[in-house]
Amino acid sequence: MFELALVRQTYGGRPVLAVDALRIERDARLAIVGPNGSGKSTLLRLLAFLEAPGAGTIALDGRPVRTARERRRARTRVTLVEQRPFLFRGTVLENVAWGLGARGVPAAQARARALEALSLLGSDRLAGRSARALSEGEVQRIAVARALATEPDALLLDEPVAGADRAAQHALYAGIAAAQARRPMAVCVASHLLEDAYRWADRILALHEGAPSTVTPENLFRVELPGGGPLQTVHLGPLAVDLVTDRAGPATLAIPPDEIVLSTERLHSSARNAMPGRIVRVAEQGGAVRVTVDGGIELVALITRRSLDELGLTVGGAVYASFKSVAVRVF
Amino acid sequence: MTLPHAEVFEIAALSLRVALLATAVACTLGIPVGLWLGTTAFRGRRAFLLALNTLLAVPTVVVGLAIYLLLSRHGPLGGLGLMFTWRAIVVAEVVLAFPIAAALSAAAVQAADPRIHRTALTLGAGPVRAACAVAREARFALGAAVVVAFGRVLSEVGAAMIVGGNIRHQTRTLTTAVALATSQGNFALAIALGLVLLALALTVNALILMLQGRGDV
Repeated sequence: MFELALVRQTYGGRPVLAVDALRIERDARLAIVGPNGSGKSTLLRLLAFLEAPGAGTIALDGRPVRTARERRRARTRVTLVEQRPFLFRGTVLENVAWGLGARGVPAAQARARALEALSLLGSDRLAGRSARALSEGEVQRIAVARALATEPDALLLDEPVAGADRAAQHALYAGIAAAQARRPMAVCVASHLLEDAYRWADRILALHEGAPSTVTPENLFRVELPGGGPLQTVHLGPLAVDLVTDRAGPATLAIPPDEIVLSTERLHSSARNAMPGRIVRVAEQGGAVRVTVDGGIELVALITRRSLDELGLTVGGAVYASFKSVAVRVF
Repeated sequence: MTLPHAEVFEIAALSLRVALLATAVACTLGIPVGLWLGTTAFRGRRAFLLALNTLLAVPTVVVGLAIYLLLSRHGPLGGLGLMFTWRAIVVAEVVLAFPIAAALSAAAVQAADPRIHRTALTLGAGPVRAACAVAREARFALGAAVVVAFGRVLSEVGAAMIVGGNIRHQTRTLTTAVALATSQGNFALAIALGLVLLALALTVNALILMLQGRGDV
């Protein structure tokens, strides 16, 4: 569906995105994850053809999209729901039918398709309401319904569950999955809620300072490195973390979840860092399990289901999260 | 000197006709230009906006003079025979009101939430439909552009005097009549005509306000 080659974007001379190669298939469920300012929204705006890249090419089904006219044509196949979506003046139904009206779909047909999209997201009861009288979560759901009504080939969502509670998040993802089951549609979700992204997506693209990163962007921390030697100690909340770097000053630390060992007792091992805490979340990811441990800061560890069962780890249980100094990546 | 009621009505009617027609033409041309300037990025846009903003400050007598030179018998458009007719006043007022309509519309859509335009585009709208979506959401600010353009046209005297000639029963408007009465020392008549002018402005602005409010969900 999308092929990006050597794409660069700068705002006011400041580089914000650098993607050498990225391919997104027609039936993809891609989660784009990364901290604030990592380039997620910029990538989505480029994929939505709302702006042109400063350099490089973005191809849609093998055809490079370069001119304003080509971008305009591409926008009838790809739609973006922004983090804080805008609903037009009017009713919810008028909003959901808006994109169909823009495509010249007759009013009655547009209305029927809009109602169908609303019911996919369990929001048909809102059809007659004024768009200005909705809660933040409802606005997001209606904006997703409005995008789905246009039957796009690619649906791009920027932090779609930011203002929603658990039930609303579930309804949103269920609706999108149902729409995807009806017809092939690439879905790309930019999210900082990694758990949701991991649970829902079949592929993760981690961005760090505008570039794809090989490290999953979990357990990321902004720190001030004291400098003065290869083995340094920084404080993350109550946890003193030993790490190996020659750098000094502001930096981002990443502790890869698969480098964290969980144990029910403190380990006597070469791992210099150990955080006692309690398990706050357990989520399946493919054949593995992501366990979130709260010990003043939250650390996510990736372990096998068998380890989880053998150690008897459950939500609320006490646990030690250990990792070596050399496992801590510094950016 | 007093004016018969019929003549006051005639003058007020001509003023209203000129002002409404000139505002309608200026806004029909100026608002789309403003929407285009406000929603489209292109090389030279800032220069275009600067030129429009500069035109806002051009004295009305200068515009009157320019139109006079264009429409006078030996001017390039002299053959149209518009000079010293109410139509010549409309032409001059359109030239005066167009930059107001365009510049204020551009400012209105530039000040509007940028998500409106992006949302319209990502839902598959073309540039015209997307600009219309922005205009709909920014209609109060656009209404203000219409009100300011109408006010400028209705209260204008210099250009109307130069290209209309203030001819009784033909091109005498409320403002030129006020100017004449004042120059003749007939302040009571001048004040009375001024009050009629104010009443007209109030009525038309109230109507525009009502139109803006309709359809608000």
